[in-house]
Amino acid sequence: MLFRRIFQFLIVYIIGIAFLLMIKMALSLSNYVIPGVPLIVETAGQVFKDYFFDVMSTMSVTVLGQCISIVMAFTVGIAGRKSSWMGSFIKVTAYNIQAYPIVALAPIIFILLGDGFIPRLLIASMICYFPLLLSVLGIMATPVKDIEHFYIATGRMRWQLEVKIRAFENLNKLVTVISGSATLAMAGTIVAEFIAANAGIGYSIRVALYQSDLAKILVALFMIGIIISIYQGILETMGEQIKIRWSVSKQGEAL
Amino acid sequence: MNKKNLMLLLLLLLLISAAPLAYAKDIKINYRLKWLFNTSVAGDIYAEAGGFFKEAGFAVHVKEGSPEKNAINELELKRADFGVASADQVIRALDRGAKILVIAQLFQVNPMQWIYRADQPEIKTLQDLKGRRIGVTFGGNDETIMNTLLAKAGIRKKDLTLTGVRFDFTPFLRRKVDVWPVYRNSQGVILKDKLERERERVNFFNPADFGVNFVANSVITSESMMKNNPDIVEEFLNALLKGWEEAMDPGNEEKVLKAVKKFDRGNNNDIRKKQLDATRTLIKPSVHIKIGTIDINAWKQTESIMLGEKQIKKPVYIETRLIWKKEK
Repeated sequence: MLFRRIFQFLIVYIIGIAFLLMIKMALSLSNYVIPGVPLIVETAGQVFKDYFFDVMSTMSVTVLGQCISIVMAFTVGIAGRKSSWMGSFIKVTAYNIQAYPIVALAPIIFILLGDGFIPRLLIASMICYFPLLLSVLGIMATPVKDIEHFYIATGRMRWQLEVKIRAFENLNKLVTVISGSATLAMAGTIVAEFIAANAGIGYSIRVALYQSDLAKILVALFMIGIIISIYQGILETMGEQIKIRWSVSKQGEAL
Repeated sequence: MNKKNLMLLLLLLLLISAAPLAYAKDIKINYRLKWLFNTSVAGDIYAEAGGFFKEAGFAVHVKEGSPEKNAINELELKRADFGVASADQVIRALDRGAKILVIAQLFQVNPMQWIYRADQPEIKTLQDLKGRRIGVTFGGNDETIMNTLLAKAGIRKKDLTLTGVRFDFTPFLRRKVDVWPVYRNSQGVILKDKLERERERVNFFNPADFGVNFVANSVITSESMMKNNPDIVEEFLNALLKGWEEAMDPGNEEKVLKAVKKFDRGNNNDIRKKQLDATRTLIKPSVHIKIGTIDINAWKQTESIMLGEKQIKKPVYIETRLIWKKEK
């Protein structure tokens, strides 16, 4: 799974670079507009170390931001699963908050929290959390009638049990959504660093953009792609392991 | 076909062929600015709004710029015929093989300066920078300028605090940063006005006063444009500079501000007026200086600074890319 992810990314990256180089050749563009391979390699040699630590810094925020967004999405999703007034209020509030573009909220976040670690974490969580919330709400608001009916009829249904049943029955979906949200968390962190931070790969991309240095940006994109592929591969592998364990324990219970 | 019909046909053909001729009178030109529309591009806006381009036979589409919308890229991609770029952009592009030429220098004084509160000790010498918290845009030309100033004064980075900044002024307003980089004629005016409302006075620290002349925005075009259409280059430049001359004439202030207002809705009339006053002193610091004059020594110094800062790998011999001054 992990190697397949990396391999797939490399294919996409190489196709992207080849496409850029074709444009460069076709239009006779200078290295300033689209850098040639030797310049990209030379730039990679110069910035690799710095960018590696930048990406790792971004990654640490990404992982933490994703954990927070998972907790937030599950909390709001579970609280908002009921079709009661409160459930509907929570859903509407969550939707409304997401309706504001992060770039518009960023200056406010920046004024309140400065340009350190917290704004990056907050923005990463906010960008990652909404798609997660939609999936969690969808799953948690849909009853598994066959199973739930039994517990309701016997008067043993509690909200914790309801949540467990719905999570168990939609485990595949949840794993896919959570591993997929890693990309969003990474993108969110990079956006945060780009607009309101003084560290991380998003910040380095902003500096490279100021210098119109596409070679640096291409190196940064390569490193982001590799690291996020590894992270997603790990998440998917973990998801597979959890599914196997749960199915084994289910089989054990059935026996 | 009888004679009458033949005459009608000829007349029709004449009308059809004459129509595009009349229409084709205006040559379409794309002109990419370096930054967003505001008073600091008053001359570019007024050259269009005041009809100077039209008068010269051009239909010019003046486009806003941004870090992503770079005039040099646009020239190479043939999406623009002329553009505005800062000297560091030009020199960096030349270092990487771009085929561009500088045809006029708009700012005679670089608007990139630093603002600080007047209740702090005045910066009379570069040594006065020691111990201060100074904002720089990491990767921006203000960082290069500041590094040059520090090197010139023999100040080590541990003797002061360099802080990364962006467009939000909050750290300066909250006194977390003492000396803040601004474009003197745009953000500088806004910040000064803001602080004056709070009864705080400000000073500006201009690197040029300490011998660092880093060139700012200039008009550029491609080598191919200059080679294939030298007349268009000359006529466009004449029209543009005429627009700038008129825009900087205090007698035209009202008309210029009205033209700028159509594009710049972010500021009020009072700010725009102050910005125009500030822009005049940077574009035409003396009546003897003709707008567009290329300061070759300042360009050479800019190149030398960038070489010293290792922003370019080899000399680009910038003087060979400065065209306007030579021809005039």
